[in-house]
Amino acid sequence: MNRSLRGAAAVAGIGSTPYYKRGTSPHSALRLILEAILAACADAGLDAHDVDGFVSYANDLNEGLAVGAALGVREVRWSTMVWGGGGGGVAAAVNAAAAAVACGQAEHVIVYRGITEADDGRQSYGKGHFPPLLSAHGVLTPVQVCALRTQRMLEVDGVPWSALEALVQASYYHAQRNPDAVGYGRPLDHETYADCRWVSEPLRLYDCSRENDGAAAVLVTSAERARDLRQVPAFVLSGVQGAGPDWSESAENNAAYTSAGFHPAMVARMWAEAEVKAGEVDVVQVYENFSGPAVASLIDLGLCPPGPEAGSFMTVPNLIAPDGALPVNTAGGNIAEGFVHGIGLVLEAVRQIRGSSASQVPRADVSLLLGGPVAPLVSATVFGSPATI
Amino acid sequence: MTEQPVLDGPVPDELAAIAERHGQVVAAGDNAATLADFRPDRTGQLLGSARLPDHLVASRLLRLQAEPDGLVAAFIRYTAADGSETVLRSRWIKLEQGWRVTQVRNVPDTPPVMAAAGPRDDGLDRPHWEGLRAGEVRIQRCAPCGHWIWAPQPLCPRCHSFDVTWPAVEPTGTIYAWTRTWQAFSSELSGHVPFVIVVAEMGTAGGRRLLGVLCDGDGADVRIGLPVRGEIDPAPSPDAWPVLRWRLG
Repeated sequence: MNRSLRGAAAVAGIGSTPYYKRGTSPHSALRLILEAILAACADAGLDAHDVDGFVSYANDLNEGLAVGAALGVREVRWSTMVWGGGGGGVAAAVNAAAAAVACGQAEHVIVYRGITEADDGRQSYGKGHFPPLLSAHGVLTPVQVCALRTQRMLEVDGVPWSALEALVQASYYHAQRNPDAVGYGRPLDHETYADCRWVSEPLRLYDCSRENDGAAAVLVTSAERARDLRQVPAFVLSGVQGAGPDWSESAENNAAYTSAGFHPAMVARMWAEAEVKAGEVDVVQVYENFSGPAVASLIDLGLCPPGPEAGSFMTVPNLIAPDGALPVNTAGGNIAEGFVHGIGLVLEAVRQIRGSSASQVPRADVSLLLGGPVAPLVSATVFGSPATI
Repeated sequence: MTEQPVLDGPVPDELAAIAERHGQVVAAGDNAATLADFRPDRTGQLLGSARLPDHLVASRLLRLQAEPDGLVAAFIRYTAADGSETVLRSRWIKLEQGWRVTQVRNVPDTPPVMAAAGPRDDGLDRPHWEGLRAGEVRIQRCAPCGHWIWAPQPLCPRCHSFDVTWPAVEPTGTIYAWTRTWQAFSSELSGHVPFVIVVAEMGTAGGRRLLGVLCDGDGADVRIGLPVRGEIDPAPSPDAWPVLRWRLG
């Protein structure tokens, strides 16, 4: 029996609403999700009535069954919510959809995420993850937890500050080439970055992702079906998700404190199943709730050296398309494109395989998606071009 | 007769009048004039930072103090209609358009008092909070295998015994991680930012880490590895809960 996901499923369609400034969406989150799904199906050349599965994450308010009912789909065969807070579930949601189509539980599975401030409230990403052992001390938001981790990464591990800024600058660089990005037309210079206000030391305003209203969706289907559809398939080469033994809800007591959460066994499993080595990754979409945890993710994956050496790798020229050693967040990411819990990163990972990114990496055969840093779970998906299959 | 403010260090001549006037527009409730004194890229953060009573009747610039990087701190005392007094420290920066407030806080530096203090709904951490009421810092520990458990769990994750105990420990440790929070994420934080949160590693509890506010952390030179000692802040009211704080040294 073939127990591998490799090459069994692919993303065949992508769709997104605009990123609205938070609180300004003209429509409900459900309506935005439906718009995104219709766009993803149109992109794939699929009648949306043929969707038969739904997956979301981070406690999306709109259940797959309700979304399916609104679309009038013929049948809902698969409906899954990934447990665990925040963007840690983004790649896990893709993996769940891929697993469903790989073993025939469903044929056309939509992965979606939609947020509006009117429906979800402020800071919906942190709900339920700040028990009294944190909130009694004024720790109310993810940025404070991520700041604690980042401070130790800087002060003890010796990762230089410049590594954080390089990630932010690369995001803004790419956003200047993406007219759909919220940060388009708003270039960021070093002086502005260095002079912006603290949010929670060592993280400043520009180290933080945005908060937007919006929705996006991708259509995951079997490899065979994807080949019949309109777009170049972005094949799932491997997918991993989860948490190490002391990782989740431990009130800052996990042993690998400055890790993003991609523990060594998980990383090894991801590379092995994908049949890819770290050096063969062409482009990365790394979830940046905040700059520091994104850097920690790249270190966890072995894509960036740990400690002081991180500074020599994490430079703007290295991180930008088309010629950088490892272009990251080529649409601008959560920091500069827009934030709907990282779902936009999935679309960009797929665009790189298709060759349709505004900051395209030449011959991008291996496109990596990393979700979650420092969230209760983390997840990753390795996408491959048809050449990798 | 107006009392002159104390000048501490080299302070530009024009700033005393600017800061004095700033206090007057704040006390008068003139929001437009107040906002005009704020550094434009951080008005939202500044508005949430300080807390003043309603119905102010007077202000007085007490002191101007030169600080590093060309900043000047202005200590302004506000008097409310009920006679209560509140002192804010605003930090001023010279921009092209003139002197602007780039940071403001209430002084003295006091930790935020959060309504969330107390046991979680399922009561898993209740013995810890009851320990604080009794003047002790209690941490969960497995009775059979001695494993220290934090955050609390229904059973020992190591040996799966449900026989967990809550011994009191000496609240000392070293700083494992810290952050200084500047943004008032809720109104409860207004009047207390910036404040420092530390994660303290406790050798007295098997290396478990307890998080809390570092008292007087705003101006402190906080470093990972520094020793800290726990203190218990009494409950602000009979139906509220005490809170563990940390202090350097």
